[in-house]
Amino acid sequence: MSAIDRIADRVRRYRFGRSDEESTSDARLATDGGHRTGGLDLGPEFVQALPFWLPAGLLVALFVYGAIGWNFFISLTDWSGLQASYWPLDFEMYTRFFGKVLEGGLLGGPIEYWSFRNTIVLLIVFTVLTLIVGLLLAILIDQQIRFENTFRTIYLLPMSLSFVVTAVFWQWMYNPRYGIINSALETVGLDFFAVNWIGAAQFKLLAVIIALTWQFSGYGMVVYLAGLRAIPSDQFEAARVDGAGTIKMYLRVIVPQLRAATLSAAVVLMVFALKAFDFLYVIFGSRPGPGADILSVMMYRTAFDTSQFAYGAAIATILFVLALGVIGPYLYIQYQRGDL
Amino acid sequence: MAGLTIDNVTKIFEDDDGEIVAIDDVSIDVADEEFLVLVGPSGCGKSTLLRMIAGLETVTSGTITLGDQIINDVKPQYLDVAMVFQSYALYPHMSVRGNMSFGLEESTDLSDDEIDEQVTESAEMMEIADLLDRKPSELSGGQQQRVALGRAIVRDPEVFLMDEPLANLDAKLRAQMRTELQRLQEDLGVTTIYVTHDQTEAMTMGDRIAILDDGRLQQVGDPLTCYHQPANQFVAGFIGEPSMNFFAMDLTGDRLVGERFEYPLTDALSAAVEGRDAVTFGIRPEDISFGGSAGEHAFEMDVDVVEPKGDENIVHLRLADADDEFGAHVSEERSPDAFVATISGMESVEAGESIVATIPPTAVHLFDATTGEAIHNRSLDNVDVSPVE
Amino acid sequence: MSTSNDSIVERATTVPRKRIGLYAALLAMVVLYLLPLETGLFTAFKTQSAFQTTIPVLPPIGNQITADPWFQAFDRLWPALGYSVAFVVPATALSALFGSLAAYGLTITKWRGQILIMLIFVAGIFIPYQAVLVPLTRFWTSIVNIRGLLGPEGSLVALSITHIAYGIPICTLLFRGHFKGLDQSMFEAARLDGATIRTIYRRIAFPLAIPMFAVTLIYQFTNIWNDLLFALVLVRGEYEVVTMALQSFTGSMVGQYNLLMAGAFITALPTIAVYVLFGKQFAEGVSGGGA
Repeated sequence: MSAIDRIADRVRRYRFGRSDEESTSDARLATDGGHRTGGLDLGPEFVQALPFWLPAGLLVALFVYGAIGWNFFISLTDWSGLQASYWPLDFEMYTRFFGKVLEGGLLGGPIEYWSFRNTIVLLIVFTVLTLIVGLLLAILIDQQIRFENTFRTIYLLPMSLSFVVTAVFWQWMYNPRYGIINSALETVGLDFFAVNWIGAAQFKLLAVIIALTWQFSGYGMVVYLAGLRAIPSDQFEAARVDGAGTIKMYLRVIVPQLRAATLSAAVVLMVFALKAFDFLYVIFGSRPGPGADILSVMMYRTAFDTSQFAYGAAIATILFVLALGVIGPYLYIQYQRGDL
Repeated sequence: MAGLTIDNVTKIFEDDDGEIVAIDDVSIDVADEEFLVLVGPSGCGKSTLLRMIAGLETVTSGTITLGDQIINDVKPQYLDVAMVFQSYALYPHMSVRGNMSFGLEESTDLSDDEIDEQVTESAEMMEIADLLDRKPSELSGGQQQRVALGRAIVRDPEVFLMDEPLANLDAKLRAQMRTELQRLQEDLGVTTIYVTHDQTEAMTMGDRIAILDDGRLQQVGDPLTCYHQPANQFVAGFIGEPSMNFFAMDLTGDRLVGERFEYPLTDALSAAVEGRDAVTFGIRPEDISFGGSAGEHAFEMDVDVVEPKGDENIVHLRLADADDEFGAHVSEERSPDAFVATISGMESVEAGESIVATIPPTAVHLFDATTGEAIHNRSLDNVDVSPVE
Repeated sequence: MSTSNDSIVERATTVPRKRIGLYAALLAMVVLYLLPLETGLFTAFKTQSAFQTTIPVLPPIGNQITADPWFQAFDRLWPALGYSVAFVVPATALSALFGSLAAYGLTITKWRGQILIMLIFVAGIFIPYQAVLVPLTRFWTSIVNIRGLLGPEGSLVALSITHIAYGIPICTLLFRGHFKGLDQSMFEAARLDGATIRTIYRRIAFPLAIPMFAVTLIYQFTNIWNDLLFALVLVRGEYEVVTMALQSFTGSMVGQYNLLMAGAFITALPTIAVYVLFGKQFAEGVSGGGA
């Protein structure tokens, strides 16, 4: 067995050994009086608890779930402009949308295709990039450095800013003439990279992804830092003693244990990517063009600029379904594990 | 002050995987002012039973009666019981005074002054009067425990319920609190039900002890009866430290034959095993004595390990000529030729010594090999268990 | 690992080298992270000609410095700032309050089905706002004609209420985590002490939830202040909140980047201030639920 295998083995035994301990004492507590059935059944407890959660629940039911349902209903109508024609109810809006998507992607082609494609690209690239950068930051911070709090505060700072604000800053940075990015690239001699970041269609999306990663990697860092700190330090030490190189240690031993953190962070990031609107709207307005148009912007444009409410609602529903596809499995897993 | 009756109580938990019977048809009568200890290994259901009395768990079937009132469905808020939790469950944001007043404020109509008076009184009883204005986080473990007790006392309830209250204290403090609790309970004269997994606590503190295993009541009785007349093998093995030596034996003619030794039967023992082929042979460590020559009930043994405790020596023995067939024994597993004996601290033996150990037939316990039920317990005739004149 | 004296000396000198590398990386990241803010900040203090001719990273010097952009930007933005405050403060407070109540009713009390209801609450955290925009506009004009009832200020009320509803899920989740972390036997002790469900909230759960209130208030303030989409859709014309105002700035202030940068900072100032003062709570909110 190589050193790495020995380490991984030890980690596995440590982890399962530890959880055995926990489960015995937990089992003792659970069978010696845990609320396995949720304690007291429906009855006075339920009634007494109602005034606490029901008002909030009603607000959520109405504004969140009711609204989603209503939105779906609207998407089935033909409502656009001033005429609120509710009949016939059909999936015309959806077939129209997917029809256009399937028509495919020449630059002059249907915007639906580009919107959909860009959304998926943003979703994946942004999430992966943010996770990686976040992990790197977390690993750096975890090295018992001085001024740890200061560094963490700085890396998380972008999360406290509105996307409107960051859009203003990044737009300035990306400015082809005065912006820092192109100035710096030219100074270093990398003129080739000094493109029109937010003007040229092929670079817009990348520019957006970079900016959004900048804004969100602090979140990734926070999540991974918590995950790293949850791993007992003995494992790091054991790996060191067994002679593992740093990178290998991280890849084979530490990163696999960050699966739960990665999963929850990925879900949040993907959902964010789906609803990212503010940033793009400030830089591109409601018409980013095929280079950067995404479903959330398209939805706004369709419903509020051109008043095609039904079509806009359909796009919104599609966004919602995409989000559901991301969070549904995740929430289900959490519920099953009892982690809720 | 009232007596508590637990009548054929059963508790079934429903899990995703099925049902768990936590308490199986348990009946106990607790007399007024009695100190009853519920004892048993982890998972035996003792805490569950306590919580059912408190109303924190529902009763699946059976009744729990306090005085003359059935309290199965009475919610904890309305029960006149006070409970001391293992974690003390103090309110961290309130002072000690606040913690102790809370119960009286919420469940009585007493005026603030009256409450204050009672709190001060109880605090003095628990010797924490000078801590009244501190917060729980500022107190030591022992002090917190007293506050938890004080909080229960000040309510002057019909029943005290205690869920392993001493478990988080260090050994010395635990021993000290054991005595204090007993004194306290006697002074206050409140019916008390005390849960512990520590059989020493059970033996020393209870007026009576109720031993549970796996949700089933094994025996209820005063400590000495449970000790000397255990109802089954579980009780015999659970009560007493170091625990009783057990050996599986077959009945052959007039002797019991085990894997490594034989034990001739006396008349009394023969009568007991009548009709059976196999029994479990039990002898308590303190009943094994050293000295003399080998004989019917005396065996040559080699001393394996000696644990000197000062007041007594715990001696681990193996029958002589142990051919190591069973290997060196490791703690839990006792091989069929290993004995544990307790002798006076003044007698000295050394590891490796050969001695003769006598197992007197009057001290032998016999249990049914299949059910574990006690067939024959030691006789107390020749032993002086009478009150001191 | 050898234990000779040589390697000890070796280790003594290689270790700092690794640490230098580490700190270098960290500082490089700091530069990257603060760059957008830094260039924005310097630009905000430059005169028009200055920012057109100097490198953005460099601070303004001499006659390039001017605080004028700030005054102008503030002049244009201060009503919007006021409107933001007006709707953000109640939304923040109430979403936190509702969250704590709901979490209590779904966590500390014990009844069947509460986990399912909790799940429904939590799912609300992840809803893309686009999925409800159209119905929301219809709701606040046709069903509850907020502007008819309250006049144009009604927009802000509608925005506030909407944010409360959308803030409840995350606040509930945060409080739930907090409540579950408390010693549960304490609540049982309270029941045995005779307290009702309501009293237990008032005298035990609520006081002990104060640290989490700090977290949720900070977190919600930041999120609600920073939102643009709901504001765009629900607020009509006159009562533009600060994010909307800044956004229209970008359209109307073409070329006047120094004004724009100053405006961005003014908009961000409250959340930056809150973040600098209460960074720990904000981080807790971020990790406790997610953006």
